[in-house]
Amino acid sequence: MTTTLGMLAILAEGEGGGGPFSVNPGLMLWTWLVFIAFLFFFRKTFWVTIVSRAEEREQTIAAQLTQAETMNAEARALLEEQKKATAEARGAAQTMLAEARAAAEKERALGHEKAKADQEALVDRARRDIAAEKDRAVAELRREAVDLALGAASKVIGQRLDGDQDRKIVLDYLATVERSH
Amino acid sequence: MSPGQEIDIGEIVLHHTSDAYSIDFEPFGSFTWSKWPDIHLGGYALNLTPTKHVVFMLVATGLAYLALGLAAAGLKKQQAGRKAPTGFAGFIEQLVLWIRDDIAIANIGKNGARYAPFLVALFFFVLMMNLIGLLPWGATATGNLAVTAALALMVFLVVEIGGAITMGPRAYLGTIFPHVDGVGGVGGILLTAFMAPIEVLSKFTKPFALAVRLFGNMVAGHFVILSLVGIILMFGSWVIGVPTALLLAAIMLLETLVAALQAYVFILLASTFIGLMQEPHH
Repeated sequence: MTTTLGMLAILAEGEGGGGPFSVNPGLMLWTWLVFIAFLFFFRKTFWVTIVSRAEEREQTIAAQLTQAETMNAEARALLEEQKKATAEARGAAQTMLAEARAAAEKERALGHEKAKADQEALVDRARRDIAAEKDRAVAELRREAVDLALGAASKVIGQRLDGDQDRKIVLDYLATVERSH
Repeated sequence: MSPGQEIDIGEIVLHHTSDAYSIDFEPFGSFTWSKWPDIHLGGYALNLTPTKHVVFMLVATGLAYLALGLAAAGLKKQQAGRKAPTGFAGFIEQLVLWIRDDIAIANIGKNGARYAPFLVALFFFVLMMNLIGLLPWGATATGNLAVTAALALMVFLVVEIGGAITMGPRAYLGTIFPHVDGVGGVGGILLTAFMAPIEVLSKFTKPFALAVRLFGNMVAGHFVILSLVGIILMFGSWVIGVPTALLLAAIMLLETLVAALQAYVFILLASTFIGLMQEPHH
């Protein structure tokens, strides 16, 4: 115990300026003086330089962030507009496509009907032509038959039967034959 | 130390940790100066002779100022207002901003930025004084109770004056004479009167703890280091010397960490005490 107190007394006393446990008022005053001077000059010079640079950078970053947010919002708005325009264009294209399909369908139906009508007209004309040819052939045949009948009859009766009166007799006869059949 | 002289570990410890009017550069000699006459203030004698610790305090302050100046110059050179700085300037800038944002503003609140220069200066001041004692022929001024007491007293004044200005005189008096909610009349007055000495005592225990913590940590580390050096010199044997030297190197590394840690703890506690006095007590 005595040794410990003795050691503490030595530490408090120290040499010259005092031991580590002694409180030298002069040293305290020096500490305040040096620290206050350090704080004053640091506050006036380097503090401003260090912090102002960082704050300037913080402001730049904040401005860039704000700008980026604005640009992002603008880009989102543009994207929405783009999507809307795309949807509208798609709708218009669908409408146009539907209209084109309807028009094509209509055209196809019209073409089909026209072709059918043309076909029917052709068939009718062909039928008419066939009927006309048949009538002509029958008339030709009939004329040939009359000629032959007249020729044969003239041979039989020994005289020429080629007058219009003769011909009318034969034709009237043939008409009666046709009616009887 | 002359050859053949008996090794006294206590003397080595005392010699290197005590303040003095001389600086040793063993084995090259020492530089000694004479003591100034005392200044008599009434019945009290004050001596302002710079001591060894004052000299190393000035050297530490110069180094701190130089480090901050180099950082500021580096920031200017790197045009740190536009892009993030690198290297030493970037490190110091981050350290300063960390103290401002994560210590001052985090512990003090909205007024924290106003106290940031004080805390940054205090950190570098204490850190450099702590570190300079680890250099050959160096001395740690923070290993002197007068220095840590002066710093703690300054923190005490900042805490109390800053608190009184922020809170106003009525709220400040409330920190000394607290009103206990729900206790009125004579009982309330008695309780306030009973609490007042405790509150006043608590105001002084905070800086006392601040001073003793820093002083104790710094001086204890040096006691250990110097004792190990004394053991090496006393035994003069490779068998004892080599392991002790290895242990000494490890302790030196630990002390480097302690030097930075104690500077951080000092300003952390200071900012906490300032923050406690920024709002009226409830």
